[in-house]
Amino acid sequence: MNALPRAALADSAGLEFRGATKSYGGKRALNDISIFVPRGSFTVILGAAGAGKTTMLRSIAGLEKLDAGELLIGGEPANHLEPKDRDVAMIFDNLALYPNKTGFENIAHPLRVSGRERTAIETAVQGIASKLKCVHVLGRLPRTMSGGERQRVALGRALVREPRLFLLDEPLSSLDAMLRIELRTELRRLQREFGYTFVMATPDYTEAMAVADSIAFLREGEIIQIAEPQTLYDEPADWDVARFIGEPEINLLPASYSPDEGGRVMLGDGIVCQAPPALRQGGYRTSFQFMAGIRPEHLRLGTPELSAWCGEVTDIEPLGTKAAITTALPRSEVRILVAATVARDLKVGQFTSISFDQDKLIAFDRTTKARLL
Amino acid sequence: MPSRRLSPLLGLLLILALVVTLFPVFWIVMTALKPPTDWNAVPAVWIPAKPTLVNFRTLFDPEAIREYGVGGVSQSASAAVFGSLLASTVSTALSILIGLLAAIGLSRYSSGSTATPLIILSGRMFPPAAIAVPFVIIFSAAHIIDTYSGLIAIYVAATVPFSTWMLKSFVDDLPREIEEAAMVDGQSRLMAHLTVTMPLIRGGLFATTLFIFILNWSDFMFALVLSYGRIATIPVQLAKYVTATAGTLYGVQAALAVLAMIPLVLAGFAIQSHLARGMTFGAIKR
Repeated sequence: MNALPRAALADSAGLEFRGATKSYGGKRALNDISIFVPRGSFTVILGAAGAGKTTMLRSIAGLEKLDAGELLIGGEPANHLEPKDRDVAMIFDNLALYPNKTGFENIAHPLRVSGRERTAIETAVQGIASKLKCVHVLGRLPRTMSGGERQRVALGRALVREPRLFLLDEPLSSLDAMLRIELRTELRRLQREFGYTFVMATPDYTEAMAVADSIAFLREGEIIQIAEPQTLYDEPADWDVARFIGEPEINLLPASYSPDEGGRVMLGDGIVCQAPPALRQGGYRTSFQFMAGIRPEHLRLGTPELSAWCGEVTDIEPLGTKAAITTALPRSEVRILVAATVARDLKVGQFTSISFDQDKLIAFDRTTKARLL
Repeated sequence: MPSRRLSPLLGLLLILALVVTLFPVFWIVMTALKPPTDWNAVPAVWIPAKPTLVNFRTLFDPEAIREYGVGGVSQSASAAVFGSLLASTVSTALSILIGLLAAIGLSRYSSGSTATPLIILSGRMFPPAAIAVPFVIIFSAAHIIDTYSGLIAIYVAATVPFSTWMLKSFVDDLPREIEEAAMVDGQSRLMAHLTVTMPLIRGGLFATTLFIFILNWSDFMFALVLSYGRIATIPVQLAKYVTATAGTLYGVQAALAVLAMIPLVLAGFAIQSHLARGMTFGAIKR
């Protein structure tokens, strides 16, 4: 449960960027970034390496100065504030533990700096360490800890405080898969329980989807889309976003639209179907070329229909309950997500008919990559 | 773990290098213990049959050597020892302080332009002898010639390029996120550098301090041209042990040289354990 009802928090700002811009040399690292992060929310900055995620977090922490634009923390202008006066906690992507301090002293450091009482520090450190399951390394130096233990000490150093804002730069990246999932659930729980404001950077869309209230997709220093996780998946702003999110990747096929018969779509390899709602209602009066995006789970196998391809199975990748099937069409290739039971009956080299859910087709502009509405 | 055994050839080369390096030290120590008759005896006396401390006594009591019939030493070395200690210690401390601030500024805040480190080093790009004479004129005009403050000033000016460059390389090696973590944790920039940067480059700080101290301690030329007699340092004093009657007093010179070595050797052993690398192991993900 939230400490406070989310609706009441929605209009109070945890963080706000207005037109934030930052360059290194001639290169734009952040380009006119504007984002509003409500207090008590979990916002994820998602993007590939080099997209500007770390620069964004460092600018919030005050470790980089913005060239232009405004930064507000808790509704107050923060551009001019030193890092120490911003009241934010940060987990660095390389952790940056104090190598000459024990686990305990690492976690206790922010409390010592703020002059907290010795017994209060002891209690707080023990408390957070047991939550993060790292009590056993409190007496040890970072060099004797495993990667996962260091990561947890770094988390502890941030979570032991109660700052206005938590900045997490790929905080789970060096953990093994099990622990990563466990800790991200724990992070989400802590965030909800105490109404913390989290801003986390990650290149991992599954991690982003799992924890985020809202995801900001960053590409080359620009925010391409800010949306709730499911919206980002269902209504991606452009085909880069669509390809980044989802596994297996969305199928992109060259296609053309014709306004005849209430709107028709011609896909490559001889498929003609009714245009999806977005195109039908778009009021397009002329024919045009576009890029059709079809999610692997919206393709079906084995039911010969009027609008169906015939493809050769070239790869079967078991995913547990599901399986990803790659099939070759005469001029393209599509990946299909099917139930594992369906995949069991398939063999590589076999031909199968492939149909798809026409309404789920997503149309993208060929040149701008933007989703057509 | 690589094998710790040396190949015979490498071992031989190491022994040879050790002999070449340590022979002068051995010779100086032996000479310091020789009576005047053995100083330049032919054939050479390697190890004195009757070692004596008279050379050391002569340093602080110029008359002591007279018991061997040698005269003409006029000045005690105590002023020079004091002068060297004063000038070297103060100038090393100042050089390290300035160099550390410059190193952090250059490494962390890109102070100045990218050419700044080179400009700082350019002060050392010509031989000291070339700038010594102008300094005599400037120092005379400024009335700081033949003063410790003048000598300290030139030592600081001459060593700051080295301290800056050496310390900058140690600061560069330290991941900046460790300091930044301290700043985000609530420390000011200055406190973060004092409590995080400094302890973590401790080894480098000690090594640089020793290096700068050696430079200042062993300077001969600046001390020679910038002093007329009111101030003295050990290297200048060493050159004074030449008398009209007995020629060069090798034993006394050797004794002073041994004294001059002692603080450096002690300092070297003292900081040895701090010179270990890998101080920041475990701080960051690799």
